Amino acid sequence: MPLGTLDRNPPPMFRQGYSALTKVVFFSALALFLMVADTRFKVVVPLRSAIATLLQPVERTLAVPLEMWRGGGDYLRGLNHALAGEDAAKRQLALQAERAARGDQLAAENARLRALLDLRPALTVKSVSAEVLYEAPDPYSRKVFLDRGSMNGVVLGAPVINDAGVLGQVTRIYPFSAEVSLLTDKDAAIPVLNTRTQQRSAAFGTSLGGGMELRFMATNADVQPGDLLTTSGVDGIYPAGIPVARIASVDRKAESGFARILLTPMAKPDAVRHVLVLEPVGLQMPKRPEAEPAPEPSRKASAARKASAPASGGRR
Amino acid sequence: MIMPRGSSQLLLPLNPLFMWFTLLLAFTFNLVPFGRAPGIPDLLALTLVFWNVHQPLRVGVGAAFVFGLMMDVHDGALLGQHALSYTLLSFFAITFHRRLLWFTVPSQAIQVLPLFAGAHAVSLLVRLMAGGMFPGWTIALAPLFEALLWPVATWMLLAPQRRPPDRDENRPL
Repeated sequence: MPLGTLDRNPPPMFRQGYSALTKVVFFSALALFLMVADTRFKVVVPLRSAIATLLQPVERTLAVPLEMWRGGGDYLRGLNHALAGEDAAKRQLALQAERAARGDQLAAENARLRALLDLRPALTVKSVSAEVLYEAPDPYSRKVFLDRGSMNGVVLGAPVINDAGVLGQVTRIYPFSAEVSLLTDKDAAIPVLNTRTQQRSAAFGTSLGGGMELRFMATNADVQPGDLLTTSGVDGIYPAGIPVARIASVDRKAESGFARILLTPMAKPDAVRHVLVLEPVGLQMPKRPEAEPAPEPSRKASAARKASAPASGGRR
Repeated sequence: MIMPRGSSQLLLPLNPLFMWFTLLLAFTFNLVPFGRAPGIPDLLALTLVFWNVHQPLRVGVGAAFVFGLMMDVHDGALLGQHALSYTLLSFFAITFHRRLLWFTVPSQAIQVLPLFAGAHAVSLLVRLMAGGMFPGWTIALAPLFEALLWPVATWMLLAPQRRPPDRDENRPL
């Protein structure tokens, strides 16, 4: 048997490097620092962005076999499926044609009335169409990744919708992808308008996932199961009138001041492929008027304020 | 040179390229978009622990940290969550690697189970403290599957080292 064929070498006596304990203390501290930096400060955004850009080609490649696996069944039942799909699409188109015609007429009428009343023209919403790259595997949140990023004109905080309604909001942005927090995420919140009663309220994601809830509604509030909630347009992010959710159940308990109202999101977040990323409405709003400068106690402070004013004079 | 009792056979030296290849393969498995299923075993954690136990001088805490960071970015998780859990996983694997190899493979699987459970518990704790949602009890299945895969990992990852040193014409493998 030649030499060097055995795996069990004696461990090196002198060149051992740092001890495992030293390393684990160092790297744990680094991980804790990163966690704090990630939640509280914005310093790790470039690092995250760089790693995401590096991983992006691999992620796209790995999605291919899964797509083939899912699409495999369609090849077998291809014709029937396509015919049924076309039939459904035609029926939907016929339904929408009537509404579209009425919408055009209403828009024209609205424009005339607005001109008559001397109001600002309604906002037009720019959009970018995108595809869901993958659902984030992180079980502690509800997020999906899109295949469009800051290079395609997606901005942070942009609302994401599909044909059924609002899906969520862009919460992290990379050069070629974007992370969308769904409405069912625990931290998600959206101002809504009850279309039946025209009452404004706020909907939040639940901590157990899957649904949403309407918080802070009085026990005797006029809310019924089946009511449609749409975006109210007061937040400066979502355009008004997009469906958000339908009220699933209303639980009025005598001992609590608020009713427990559960909602079903209109857009099923788990079965979505194609979405539309809108521009936040607030970007088109006129700039807020500058606040009147208070009388300065010293000349130095006013000079400093003047110097920093052009830099901070962005939106809001 | 003391032979661990569990390994009945002298092993060939490891090709480091094979080790890094398997680590990258496990990482790409973790990148496959299966959707949100907390019970899916973390093959990267399994492979990391395996090589930490078998080759503690070649792959250590630093590699585990870097792989953890990449997992964090892919998952859209808190940056440092996987990094911390992999770092601790790797440290404890290195700490008990001398003891573990004296046992048979099924006993080893039972002994690594608390290790994986601990790593998932660290992740869970960190995320709940940072304000995440509770993922449901299926997350308890992940360490179980990882421990069950330990014999498979031993069989597959040690296979290249178990080839005979002299090629036999009649038995090529």
